[in-house]
Amino acid sequence: MISSLKRYAFRKFKTAEAEIHELNYLFWECTTRCNLNCIHCGSDCSKDSVYRDMPADDFFRAIDTIKDIPQNFTVVFTGGEPLLRNDLEFCGKELRKRGFKWSMVTNGHLYDEQRHISLLNAGIGALTISLDGLKESHNWLRNNTKSFEKVVNAIELAASSNRINFDVVTCVNQKNLKELGQIRDLLISKNVKAWRLFTIIPIGRAAQNPDLLLTDHQFLELMNFITDHRKNKEIDMKFSCEGYVGKYEPLVRDSYFFCRAGINIGSVLIDGSISACPNIDRSFSQGNIYTDNFYEVWQNRFQPFRNREWTKIGQCENCKEYKDCQGNGLHNWHGNKQNVLVCHHKKIEKTATILNKTK
Amino acid sequence: MKRNWIRTIIKGLSFTSVMFVFQACYGTPQDYGLDILVEGQVKSKTSGLPLKGIKVSESHNLQHEITDENGKFSFYTEFRDSLSFQFQNVDSVQNSQYADKDTLLTGIADSRLFLAIMMEEK
Repeated sequence: MISSLKRYAFRKFKTAEAEIHELNYLFWECTTRCNLNCIHCGSDCSKDSVYRDMPADDFFRAIDTIKDIPQNFTVVFTGGEPLLRNDLEFCGKELRKRGFKWSMVTNGHLYDEQRHISLLNAGIGALTISLDGLKESHNWLRNNTKSFEKVVNAIELAASSNRINFDVVTCVNQKNLKELGQIRDLLISKNVKAWRLFTIIPIGRAAQNPDLLLTDHQFLELMNFITDHRKNKEIDMKFSCEGYVGKYEPLVRDSYFFCRAGINIGSVLIDGSISACPNIDRSFSQGNIYTDNFYEVWQNRFQPFRNREWTKIGQCENCKEYKDCQGNGLHNWHGNKQNVLVCHHKKIEKTATILNKTK
Repeated sequence: MKRNWIRTIIKGLSFTSVMFVFQACYGTPQDYGLDILVEGQVKSKTSGLPLKGIKVSESHNLQHEITDENGKFSFYTEFRDSLSFQFQNVDSVQNSQYADKDTLLTGIADSRLFLAIMMEEK
């Protein structure tokens, strides 16, 4: 009864949030250059990007159109690898002058003590670093023999600061699934407070490599791992908001599934496109900062993000969970958008049915 | 205003306080921490001229900044109601005659602080 009431209230909350669509979280794809060549990269970034880094002034002109700055509005620097930009600290300070908070997603390879200090000095407030396994499995995924050593150093530095709201993210795959307990212990030993796990969806380079993708049974194993270990409060572990996970919804994260792309989350992409999360198919772009007023686009477009009825197609069409799921995370819609690429709920249900039959 | 009421009511009905604490699936956590912008200028007490190359650090962390040609510095650091700063000569040639200086500030309430520091000769 209480659970049904909570779900009902949450649905109403999501509808209200879509109607209000307050911009709280803005990704800036400030570069698509990258110093690594990870085998799972969904963005197809490379050392020699076809795009030049977006000039800081172009981005500032776009965000200066924002009226009524929402509380806790955050700009998230992403890439590529943001630390390849030498003007990151300048950009951060400029954002703070405007009253905006800022944060960064990094592979940690260039995050040394000097950069840690200069980023703090420039007012960074939150940080996410990727650690994708113990030494061998991390370096395999990151395609670099030094990456593990460097990222552990970065994690130690970030964890030493009380100022930064910091978490580690792990892409769970065939090679690191059995290591999750050891990774957890490693993070706790490094004083990491929060750990987010996600799976890799078959896009970009990942689509070509089956070692990166979990089987349905392994996905269920992951859900059970998170559920079990969340009871222990030593580290705040959660499943990312990448998809709706049915009966695991209240168990694997702090809140029910809600894809806020285009509702509270926007982005300015490397070519000036205005969209939501950078991992969403680029065909969803709603405008371009070089031809449109950014805030007008945010306020007046984004209909496919705020009304998801169009996702009631393919396997979602007759799904009983649709009212809570609403087509899963929007990054699961690609190409002609006639069917969702990954259904986390179906993976779970299918495996649970097989397990029940074998009992 | 009406919209905020709707949010508050629904937030209450859903029995959870974490609904606004979200992060994009591939993004960072949100920043709910407090920090303070520390700015200032370091001058020579003897000549009144700005001192370049003085290391300004806050005691509780690794952070530091070096004064520029106008003796100025500026950095964000974690907010606390008392903060302790050190001013050190790290340029042994140009500022060797100046003694290091410590400053403790208590009862800090604002999110911005300006320090005017005069360094004395040894």
